[in-house]
Amino acid sequence: MAKSQTWLFRALALSVTAMLIAACGGATVTPAPASGGPQATGGPKATDAPTGPKPGGTIYVLTQSEQWNQVDPQRNYTGEDLAFFGGTLMRALTAYKFSADAAEGTSLVPDMATDLGTATNGGKTWSFTLRDGVTWQDGSDVTCADIKYGVSRTFATSVINQGPTYAVVYLDIPTEADGSSAYKGPYAVGTPAAVVGQDLYDKAVTCDGKTISFNLSKPIADFNYTVTLGFGAVRESDDTGETYGTIAPFLVSNGPYKIDSYTTGNGGKMILVRNENWKASSDGYRKAYPDKWEVHFGIDPKVEDQRIMQSAGNDAFAVQYGQIQPENLAVIFDDPDHTKAEFGARAISGFDPYSRYYWIDNNKVPNVKIRQAMAVALDRAAIRKNIGGEFAGAYADGLVKPNIGGDYKATEFWTSFFGQPVPDSGDPVLAKKLITDSGVAAPTLVFNFADTPTNQKTAAIVIDSLGKAGITVTPAPLEPGKYYSIVFNPETSGDFGTAGWGADWPNASTVLPPLLTQAGGWDLSQLDDPAVNAAVDAALTELDRTKQMGLWQAINKKSAEEVNTIPTFFGLSQTIAGTKVGPLYRWAAYGSWPYGEMYVTE
Amino acid sequence: MAAYIVRRVLLMITLLFILSITVFVLFNLLPGDPARLTCGKSCTPIVIEQNRHRLGYDLPIQEQYFKFVGGIFFGRVFSPESPKPIICEAPCLGYSFNRHEEVLSLIMRSAPVTFWLAIGAFIIWITVGVSLGIYAALRRGRWPDRLVMGISLIGYSLPSFFVGLLLMFFVVIQWQWLPYPSYVSPFEDPFAFLQTMILPWIVLAILYAAFYMRLTRNQVLEVFNDDFVRTARAKGLPERTVVVKHALRAGLTPIVTAAGLDLAGLLGGAIISENIFSLPGLGALAVDSITNSDLPLITGITLLTAALIIFANLIVDLLYAVIDPRVRLV
Repeated sequence: MAKSQTWLFRALALSVTAMLIAACGGATVTPAPASGGPQATGGPKATDAPTGPKPGGTIYVLTQSEQWNQVDPQRNYTGEDLAFFGGTLMRALTAYKFSADAAEGTSLVPDMATDLGTATNGGKTWSFTLRDGVTWQDGSDVTCADIKYGVSRTFATSVINQGPTYAVVYLDIPTEADGSSAYKGPYAVGTPAAVVGQDLYDKAVTCDGKTISFNLSKPIADFNYTVTLGFGAVRESDDTGETYGTIAPFLVSNGPYKIDSYTTGNGGKMILVRNENWKASSDGYRKAYPDKWEVHFGIDPKVEDQRIMQSAGNDAFAVQYGQIQPENLAVIFDDPDHTKAEFGARAISGFDPYSRYYWIDNNKVPNVKIRQAMAVALDRAAIRKNIGGEFAGAYADGLVKPNIGGDYKATEFWTSFFGQPVPDSGDPVLAKKLITDSGVAAPTLVFNFADTPTNQKTAAIVIDSLGKAGITVTPAPLEPGKYYSIVFNPETSGDFGTAGWGADWPNASTVLPPLLTQAGGWDLSQLDDPAVNAAVDAALTELDRTKQMGLWQAINKKSAEEVNTIPTFFGLSQTIAGTKVGPLYRWAAYGSWPYGEMYVTE
Repeated sequence: MAAYIVRRVLLMITLLFILSITVFVLFNLLPGDPARLTCGKSCTPIVIEQNRHRLGYDLPIQEQYFKFVGGIFFGRVFSPESPKPIICEAPCLGYSFNRHEEVLSLIMRSAPVTFWLAIGAFIIWITVGVSLGIYAALRRGRWPDRLVMGISLIGYSLPSFFVGLLLMFFVVIQWQWLPYPSYVSPFEDPFAFLQTMILPWIVLAILYAAFYMRLTRNQVLEVFNDDFVRTARAKGLPERTVVVKHALRAGLTPIVTAAGLDLAGLLGGAIISENIFSLPGLGALAVDSITNSDLPLITGITLLTAALIIFANLIVDLLYAVIDPRVRLV
């Protein structure tokens, strides 16, 4: 028996040895890969701090996303993507200043244009002149026609989708009976020009040498902000339509870098190398410090956290695209305002782009005292605890968020409006008094929410806290995928429900008009108040930015007091970077890293 | 035998046909609106309808299905309004507007990763699992048997996401014994390939090997009690011959069945391992397609996985006849 079993031992030993050789051999012999993985020499101590700007090196962006949302100037729409591509590949007429200060970081600076644009015709015409030396990656000039063509792509809504559509909304081009633009975009090949509406577009957007003019259907005071979003240049000869930017031939850059390769999915990478035809003299905005950018896709979020926390090898030069996982927050932070000493300034908690609020159908709940009672009774502290505690968000006092810059001013709704502070956990006594003052009976209300486990618990808190004030709440959960399509229709929606909104650019013009007017497109509260509409129009057309800020602040305060919505939380998010990359701050313009001025320190 | 194979292949095609219809119907019953998902924040009902039309979701479900099947045989053209319409040559399994790539191309790019992941893990778990299973059976009731069964119990109890994260944290991040996984083809850089795949292989192999230790041990023990083994020993055959030529061969049939199906299942994607180790395999692709309600991709991957399992069943059945001469395929 003993002899017969020897072969079994041999087979077993052979297989185990093979595994060990494979595992151990790689660790001792292999040099670190040129990119990606950690180096054998080990990393720096976690407390090492970036020492200052230094040209050269590679910055790594680690993300769990499988790919970029979009790599197309007309479809790029999320904050972090706008910040990354704006800093590397895609120039715009204007851009946001790099600054850790929220007000300064949301102020405009010229980019491809020589200045911040000139408004004429009472703010209905905006002109921008291209500066000299702005080129594509092949060295040819970026022309007015390239910008005009790029903007025209927005109108091809059947091909160029998912992007911002401000060009369609703002440019002075008539609409069809169904509400669509009379101009159908540049792709309607073979269609008579009259049907395509090319002549209409040519009147709305004109080129005069290096000056491009946009003729708008109404005065837009902050149109020079608008042009940061979806108004990038695309050369007609490069345009591949549906696939532009996503597959080879890759997007043609006019920034300091160009795409070397792009693969999606787990293990996918986008590698950017220097664009040798970019001239620093034509670009006073981007610093272009690193020689190379590597974006690594499909990284498990837990692994991503650990890699950057450890910050070893190339991970010391990495920044996180995304958020720190909840289980690691207590490891990295004492609280949202203070990181633990070992992580220093390389972990950041700051505002994300979103404000959370509860919409109230103002037609179904027309009594302002009842709406105020709802707000006062709401146990916001319990709701915040349920959605993640203090790391999830700060208590909101209005729809406009502090990181929007000068348009924000504290409304003091929770602190002094009622002559007494309203506790975060709600004040049922004050709420009952407001109901008594309203002159109507305590209502029975239907509460809509997307049916998720977290929202179910939130609904229970809403029912309980409003119930203490005598308001009966009936929950009406909706399938998450169909939530907005149902609550947008007053015939199918309840009386109030959950919602969120992020500003498109740092101006309350992308917050208050959408949320408080029917024309804005996101008026879940069904508000159609002539006074509000007039105030919004006045602010939209006010060309003096300082005056405009005051107007927005007043509208925001009034809306909070009228409780057209119940503002709940200003969303926060937390993120981390390696020890050898800087500068590390949350850029208020996009709630992102300031990619355009980032550097490695060794 | 030939008639049997032809019959099974015909059955396989029928099953795939039924499955493809089921996937289409099920997808349409799922909550959510794929057209809305393709539309950004500033979406209007008009744009949603345009997207629905562009993606073909405005067509009756049977027409969508016929277009899909037609694409397999004759190819299709997507986004005809684009300056460069997307021409998907036959066999066209569809086009992923989310990934901006043909479904077949996405699958063909991911399939080799999953193939190598599955094959490597399979070799390890079969070698270790079957070897230790036989070893334990030969020492039934003694400490080696108990030790192997103990190891098996532990291996079976450890979820792959736990083992995977543990290995990743310590071996790669903390100790840096291996570089961060970055898949390369074994034909391109065999050494980097081994460095990337060794941990995922181990993670998968631990779970499966534990199962195969128990399965093999039990099968071998059962066969040891059969009359023909006792007869072989009584005839004075060497123990090695008794074990290898008689007992093992008879005991292998259920192991082959299980191994075939397990391998086929893994070839459809090992979701947890692929995600932890950032491997661009079919499992990760499947998760992404479901998250994004990417019907063409979901359909393509489902059909491929089903085809693999059905094909593996066929191979297993054929192997029966090779392993056990008593089995006749008719």
